[in-house]
Amino acid sequence: MVTERLLNVAEKTVELAVKEKVNQAQAASFLWDSALTRYANSQIHQNIASKTGGVAIKVVIDKKIGTLSVNTLEERQIKDAIGKAVKIAEVTPPNKDFKSLPKPEKWTPIQGAFDKETATCSPDYRAERVKEVIGTAHSKSPIVKAVAGSFSTDMLAFAVSNSLGVSAWAKISLASLKVTVISQANGSEGFGYAVQHSRHMKDINPALIADKAAEKSITTVKPKTLTPGEYETVLSPLAVGTIFDYLGYIGFSATPYQDGQSFVKYHLDQQIFDEKLSVKDDTRDKRTLIAVPVDGEGVRKKTVKLVDKGVVSEQSICYDSLTSGREKGTPSTGHSIPPITSGFGQARPMPINMVATPGDATTEEMIKETRHGIFVTRFHYVNPVEPTKAILTGLTRDGTFLIENGEIIGPIMNMRFTDSMLSVLKDVPMIGKELEQGETTTVPPIKLKKLRFTGVTQY
Amino acid sequence: MLLLELGKKGLEEAAREGASYADIRIGKIFDENLTVKRGVPERVTLLLKSGFGVRVIAKGAWGFAGSVDLTEDEVVETTRRAVKIALASSRLKKKDVALTPPTARRDKYTTPLKKDPFKVPLDEKMDVLLQAERIVAEHSSLIKTSSAFFRAMREEKLFMDTDGSEIIQEITWCGGGLLGIAVRNGEVQRRSYPSPFRGNFSTKGYEFFQSLDLLGHAKEVGQEAVDLLDAEKCPSGETDIVIRGDQLALQIHESCGHPTELDRALGTEADYAGTSFLTPKKLGKLRYGSDKVNIVADATVLGGLGTFGYDDEGTPAKQVYLVKKGLFVGYQSSRETAHELGFEKSSGGMRADSPLALPLIRMTNINLLPGDWKAEEIIEETKSGILMVTNTSWSIDDKRLNFQFGTEIAWKIRNGSKDKMVKNPTYTGITPDFWGSCDAVSEDDWMMWGTPNCGKGVPGQVMYVGHGCGTARFRNVRTGLVG
Repeated sequence: MVTERLLNVAEKTVELAVKEKVNQAQAASFLWDSALTRYANSQIHQNIASKTGGVAIKVVIDKKIGTLSVNTLEERQIKDAIGKAVKIAEVTPPNKDFKSLPKPEKWTPIQGAFDKETATCSPDYRAERVKEVIGTAHSKSPIVKAVAGSFSTDMLAFAVSNSLGVSAWAKISLASLKVTVISQANGSEGFGYAVQHSRHMKDINPALIADKAAEKSITTVKPKTLTPGEYETVLSPLAVGTIFDYLGYIGFSATPYQDGQSFVKYHLDQQIFDEKLSVKDDTRDKRTLIAVPVDGEGVRKKTVKLVDKGVVSEQSICYDSLTSGREKGTPSTGHSIPPITSGFGQARPMPINMVATPGDATTEEMIKETRHGIFVTRFHYVNPVEPTKAILTGLTRDGTFLIENGEIIGPIMNMRFTDSMLSVLKDVPMIGKELEQGETTTVPPIKLKKLRFTGVTQY
Repeated sequence: MLLLELGKKGLEEAAREGASYADIRIGKIFDENLTVKRGVPERVTLLLKSGFGVRVIAKGAWGFAGSVDLTEDEVVETTRRAVKIALASSRLKKKDVALTPPTARRDKYTTPLKKDPFKVPLDEKMDVLLQAERIVAEHSSLIKTSSAFFRAMREEKLFMDTDGSEIIQEITWCGGGLLGIAVRNGEVQRRSYPSPFRGNFSTKGYEFFQSLDLLGHAKEVGQEAVDLLDAEKCPSGETDIVIRGDQLALQIHESCGHPTELDRALGTEADYAGTSFLTPKKLGKLRYGSDKVNIVADATVLGGLGTFGYDDEGTPAKQVYLVKKGLFVGYQSSRETAHELGFEKSSGGMRADSPLALPLIRMTNINLLPGDWKAEEIIEETKSGILMVTNTSWSIDDKRLNFQFGTEIAWKIRNGSKDKMVKNPTYTGITPDFWGSCDAVSEDDWMMWGTPNCGKGVPGQVMYVGHGCGTARFRNVRTGLVG
C-alpha cells in the first residue's frame, strides 16, 4: 500500500528528528507517478512518464525553523537530511509568527478519490485515445489542419506526520484530456479548445471533447476585427474558472490578505459581487477534481465560503498554520498546498476546490439575451495589474465570437481585456445552471453586463 | 555504482530493447531559498533533488521516462519503460524522428565562481537579509510588508548518449533582492530592487550577491514605495517611452524570446502557450524591428543566468542571431527542429528543469545587443515621454503579438529631463510595430538580468534564463490604460 509506506516514512522521519532534541518536527512524504502523452500537428511528439517522491522535513527549535526537502524515501538519506535541517534551524533566527505545528484532529478519507485503473494507465491506452481525438477532429471537416493537446494520467499520494500526533494521508488519481484544433481556409486560421478532467480515466470521452474543439475551430476562421470598448460578455465555464483562479490567488489567500494586497481586506462584510454569486472551497464536494481530505500539514481541509451571496468577509480567507499563527484566534483552514510540487509545498495557501452555486440559465439563453456583445470561450495569459482593485488583464483565445441581437454572428479576432473584477462581477445578469469541472474550479457560464476590452490582436 | 556506469547501463539497455538513439541525464540539484519577511525568517529551505531521465527513439518515435531511484535495476526498468512509451508513440507518427548530425564530445564544464554560495554560513546570509529588510521596513509606518531574498542553486549533471557523448557539468547561480510594499487607504504600491521576481541572479558565486549591496539600496526601496502613494497616475495616450533594463529584459523575454522558439513556430506548443507569429516562411524576410535592434541567443556570455557549457542534448553553448539590424534571421532550436527546417546544427537551446523532465527548447540568454547611446543621453534627447522602470505585470497573446506590461514606477520626461514620478504605469503594443519604433539603444548601462521563473511545457517546467540589455527608447506607444 502506497499510503502505508508513505505514512511509515513520515512517522519514522519524525521519530528520528525528535531524537535530535528539537521541540517539534513534521514530515510530509509523497509519491507522484505521472504519465503524459502529448500530441501536435496530429501526431504524438512527446510521450513521457516519471516516478518521483520525497520528504519535506520541518524541525523547530525554540521558534527557529529549519526546512529541508529531499526527493528520496530511503532512510539513510533521510537521516542525513534531518541532520541538515537541524543545522539550518540552529543558525536561523526565531520566527515570532510561529505558534505551533498543527495539533491532530479527526479526518476521514474521501471515497472515490482514487482509481487504480487510472493510476496504472498504459501508454498504449493513452495513444489509442489520442488516435480517437485526432481522427474525430479531422473527420469533422476537411479544413481541420492540425490537432494538438495532451492526455495525462497521474497517481499522487502523500502522508503527513508530526511530533504532536498528526497522522494523515491522501491518495488521488487524475486524468485530463486537452484538445486544441487548428483549422485553415483561404489563408485564415481558426482555433478551438476543449478539455475534460476526471478522477477516472474511463470517464474521459475523447470523441466528445475532440468534436467540441473541432466545432469551435472550424467556426473561427476568417475572424473580423471588433473595436475595443465595453461589451456585454458571455463567459464559458473555462473563462469563468480562470477568473476565479486569479481571485483565489490575489484575494482569498491569507498571504496577500496579510500583506495588504488582497481586495478582500478592503471590503470586509460588503456585497462586492452580484448577490446571485456564491462560491465555496470544498474538497469533499463530489464535483471537484483534487479530492484530498487533508492539506500539506495534515490539517483537515475545511469548507470556506469564499463569496456568500456576493459578500466577502474574514471567513473568505484560506489559511495554513503559519499564516493562521499571525492572527490571534484564527485556525488553519487546511489550505497548505500538498508537498507534491517542485518547491515541496512552499506556495501560499490557496483554494483549489472552488465550487460556484449554479443559476438557472443556459449558455444559449445568455446569448439570446445579449443585444451586442462578445462570447469568450477561453482566456489566455491573465495576470493581475492592481490586486487590491482586482484589476486583471488578459486575452481571449481559441474561439471568440460576436453576438448581435441574440445570435452568434461570427468569429472575431482575439481581444485584450483590462478591467476590475469588482466592477465586472458586481452586476451579473445571468448565471448558468450547468457547472463544468476544471482543475481547481467547478463553475457555470455567466453573463456579464459589461467587460472592458482594451485592445485587439493581429494575425 | 558509479554514475558513468549507470549511464552506460541505460544506453546499453536502450540499444538492446531496439532504440535507434538514446540519451540519459543523471543529475543532482541543490536549491537554497532564504526569505526574511516582516522581520522574521519566513522561508529557510534547502531542496535536494536527484534522479535520471532516459530519452529514446524507437521505431522512429520518441519515448521518455525518469525516476528518482538511482539504482542499476531502476535504470534498466525505466529505460525499458521509455522504449515501451516510444513504441506507443510510433502508432501515431507521420514520419520518423530525424536529428542533425551528432556533435559527440567528452568534456567537463563548471561555472566559474570566486566564492561558493553554499559554503557561506547560513547565518551570514540571513544577517544581510535581516538587516536590509529592517531598513526597508523602518523607512515608514506605511511600509506594511517588506522582504529580502537570497537564492542559490547548483545543478550537477551527467549527459551521455549513444553517439558517444559524455559531458559532466556543474552549474551554479545565486542572487537576491528586496521588496517593499506601501499601503494607504486601500492603495498599494511596491518597489523591488534590483529587479522583480525576488531580485537579480547570475551564474557567479556569492560575490555576485555581495555586489548587489542590498543594505545600500534598502532605503531607496522604502522611500520610492511610499512616494508612489502620492504620485500622479500614468497619463493615458500615445507618447514616447524610455524603458530601463529591469523592464526591457521581460519585454525581450516575452516578445522575442518565446516567439523565436522553433518548437512554438512549428506548432508543438499550440495546445498550451500557443504558437508564434514568427513562422518559418518569415525567416530572413520579416522586419521584426528597426535597424537598431540586434538580438541574440547566447549561452556563452559571462554571468548570464542561461549560461552553460552544453545544452541537455549535448550541443555546445553558442551565440546565434535571432534579429539582425531589425531583420528576423534565426530561431532557437533543438537537433530535431533544426533538422526539420534544414539547418546544419541546433542552436543549443534544449534544457530540462530536472533530470526527470524532458528537455524542451528553452531560452538561454536572449540579449538585445548594445547600441551607441548613453542611457542619460536617451533621456536628454527626449522632449516628452515616460521613463518606465521595473516590471510588475505582463501579458501577451498566444502568437506573441499583442502585449501589455505594467511597471512599478515611472517618471515623466520633459524637455530632456526626468520630471515627476507617476504611478501604475502600463504600456501596450503589437510586437513588430513596437520594435520597429525603437530608435535608441544604450551601451553604458548594458548588463545581464536573470529570470529564474520562465514557465513552459506540459507538464510545466520552470527554467532559469538571462537577458542582456540596457535602456531603449520607443516612439509613439500607448500608455496608461489602467485607472
